[in-house]
Amino acid sequence: MADYLLEMKGIVKQFDGVRALDGIDLQVRAGECIGLCGENGAGKSTLMKVLSGVYPHGTWDGEILFDGAPLKAQSIRDTETAGIIIIHQELMLVPELSVAENIFLGNEITLPGGRMNYPAMNRRAQELLNELNIGDVNVVLPVKQYGGGHQQLIEIAKALNKNARLLILDEPSSSLTASEIKVLLNVMRDLKAKGVTCIYISHKLDEVAAICDTIVVIRDGQHIATTPMQDMNVERIIAQMVGRDMNQLYPQKRHTVGEQIVFEARNVTCYDADNPERKRVDDISFTLKQGEILGIAGLVGSGRTELVSAIFGAYPGESQAEVWLNGARIDTATPLKSIRAGLAMVPEDRKHHGIVPDLDVGQNMTLAVLGSFAHATRIDKEQELHAIRGEIAQLELRAASPFLPITSLSGGNQQKAVLAKMLMTKPKILILDEPTRGVDVGAKFEIYQLMFELARQGMSIIMVSSELAEVLGISDRVLVIGEGRLRGDFVNHKLSQETVLAAALAQSAPSHH
Amino acid sequence: MKSNHIKQLFTQYKMLALLIAIALIWTFFSWKTAGGFVTPRNLSNLVRQMSITGVVACGMSLVIIAGEIDLSVGSLLGLLGGIAAVLDVTYHVALPLNLLIVLGCGLLAGLFNGYLTAHLKIPSFIVGLGGMLAYRGIVLGVTGGMTVAPVSAELVYLGQGYVTPQWGIALGVALFALTLVLIWRARRSRAEHGLAQPALWRDAVKVLVTAAVLAGAVSTFNHYEGIPLPVLLLLALLGLFSYVTTQTVFGRRIYAVGSNMEATRLSGINVQAIKLGIFGIMGLMCALAGVIETARLAAGSPSAGTSGELDAIAACFIGGTSMRGGSGTVHGALIGALVMASLDNGMSMLDVDTYWQMIVKGCILTLAVWIDVSTRAGKR
Repeated sequence: MADYLLEMKGIVKQFDGVRALDGIDLQVRAGECIGLCGENGAGKSTLMKVLSGVYPHGTWDGEILFDGAPLKAQSIRDTETAGIIIIHQELMLVPELSVAENIFLGNEITLPGGRMNYPAMNRRAQELLNELNIGDVNVVLPVKQYGGGHQQLIEIAKALNKNARLLILDEPSSSLTASEIKVLLNVMRDLKAKGVTCIYISHKLDEVAAICDTIVVIRDGQHIATTPMQDMNVERIIAQMVGRDMNQLYPQKRHTVGEQIVFEARNVTCYDADNPERKRVDDISFTLKQGEILGIAGLVGSGRTELVSAIFGAYPGESQAEVWLNGARIDTATPLKSIRAGLAMVPEDRKHHGIVPDLDVGQNMTLAVLGSFAHATRIDKEQELHAIRGEIAQLELRAASPFLPITSLSGGNQQKAVLAKMLMTKPKILILDEPTRGVDVGAKFEIYQLMFELARQGMSIIMVSSELAEVLGISDRVLVIGEGRLRGDFVNHKLSQETVLAAALAQSAPSHH
Repeated sequence: MKSNHIKQLFTQYKMLALLIAIALIWTFFSWKTAGGFVTPRNLSNLVRQMSITGVVACGMSLVIIAGEIDLSVGSLLGLLGGIAAVLDVTYHVALPLNLLIVLGCGLLAGLFNGYLTAHLKIPSFIVGLGGMLAYRGIVLGVTGGMTVAPVSAELVYLGQGYVTPQWGIALGVALFALTLVLIWRARRSRAEHGLAQPALWRDAVKVLVTAAVLAGAVSTFNHYEGIPLPVLLLLALLGLFSYVTTQTVFGRRIYAVGSNMEATRLSGINVQAIKLGIFGIMGLMCALAGVIETARLAAGSPSAGTSGELDAIAACFIGGTSMRGGSGTVHGALIGALVMASLDNGMSMLDVDTYWQMIVKGCILTLAVWIDVSTRAGKR
């Protein structure tokens, strides 16, 4: 019966009628290491949330057999008891507690009266770390003294301490340096040799290829293929991940790119706010022509958002950027200065960085240019309303009234309001970070149309997007970012998703085509 | 469904609910005091007492709308009132110059608080807590813990003086005319933009209620001595602050900063300057309140303004200012101050023990915010 340690059969998970997972099958043999691959939004995280009990049994359809018995978990606690341990992309350690305290968090060895049995816990913690070949870690020191690589391994030790039978690692290397990744991969090989079963999720396909026995590819919530690694290579994984034909999701282009370079960013570098040793963006330079739409592609965490935030003066940590507009150096140290100089940015996180929830739709739209409606100190509300109505008409923003709360609008219309706010500043360069995230298909098309129209009027646009199809459908040129470095600069002429994805995944130096 | 409906009604008519609460409180106290509570003399005293909390609450509402808090205002008020008293009593500084110096000190202290919060990123709660101790310490040091008295008659007049009845009537008429003009302009503007007009009877009711309230207030005051000067100041501040919060760029930005600071910053707004400005205004309000307090007591007391910050903050919250910032009104805060002052005054008349007064006020504050939170729930 129990050929497989884990069997997931026909898993379907819906969000508001949209099928995020559409009948996925997944089998894992004991002692096997599965590489789960898919593009951003393919459904990998959703699948793992179903498996780990984040979405309780009953909120999805299908069946999970663990060790031959049906698994009907109501919470993460239930799956942990069964021996399924998930290690998330963002580490769940408490920085101020000691290494041993973290490993035993929620699972403490106690003495009578609820006192902590420190000697026992420290001893066991040391044993676990020795097993992982990181015996040099001092278990009584706070976790924050150790870097991301060690912290990742401490998480693994914590999982092993819970007698993990199935270990799920979700993007474990996304915040690690190259040498830390090497250590991690060695540990993974050791664990495999000891018979630990694991599911490894990573965008870094060379890692997947190095340690996994079987590759499972999913796309658009559907299971595409399960193939032994010996029959696969990185190129074939990519082909399976992409495998989608472009359809009519994009409007007809009506603009032509100008000859003149209007914008240039030189030597943009950002340092991680928590770990100043680590560069989130490492010395990227690029140019932009009049009326050009430049797509910036890259995997999650590659530094795309950090790059554009630094250019706009909105990066929260240390950063450097030299920005030139029409041949003159401009100061973009703060968003205020950037906007004055002629830049505008629609940020990625609409809820936290885009809308102001207590202001109404119209007030949100005029926030950046309110001063221009003021006579002495008083806002000329008639003039303001006139401008708001103009923008609402131009962007086809569907709101019954500009006096409605912004939070009452749909995602697409909220996005249009944020876009309108930035367009009202009459920018020369428009930066759009994930402009269609959480936006329905119809509004997406309208936003694309608007972008083309703005480009036709001569505005230059930088668009960051996780959706490769969108990048290829909209951009005149594509920059590919990987691990904070420029990995490619392609003119979008018969450019394929495979080429872009290969560049994003590559470890090599920038290539020019 | 039904409870949702009630919630909506409540949110829409929050101010009305507060006014009804005040009416209930007043009715209760006049019944208990056999009408003593609603005599012109007592009501005049009541609003004069309220004016100090009210002046501070004006500034505090801006601070809270911007998503900050200032706990130092009670001590700062005491310090600035003390400075006014010392300048007057010890150095015989002329009143206009005295006022100018005290306002200047208030502005500087406020800006200093603002600088610590906005530029050095010290949480305003901590800045306030520090200021609360330090400013009170300075008062005690400067006055040696002694009451500074007697202050000059001119200064006393600021706190205890009255507008003559004729001027009071003129003021009432002027305010009524202003109401008419504002309502008419609002209607005209809505008509021009093709917006739905509120029913004519609604505006008519508004006008009638305003007329009744103004007439009642002016005649009540005139039955005693006239409109108290601090109340006149408070009215002026109400007008000024309402104008700033609803009509100016600065006002709109205060709401934006409090509602979502990051989005506001990314829209190219200097949020630090906004916060600095707000704390500066808060300092000015402390100076005004401090001078009135000294004038009202006719002495500089080292304990003046103790726990004044709590009254002002409570007034804002009772008046519907949101704790997480981004929404609230100045007139709401003043109605909140009136609730607190009414409770204080009524319970004092009934000789209720101080400890009971504190318990009741604490309960009322908690209750008011609970109602606010529960009717707001689901909006986010």
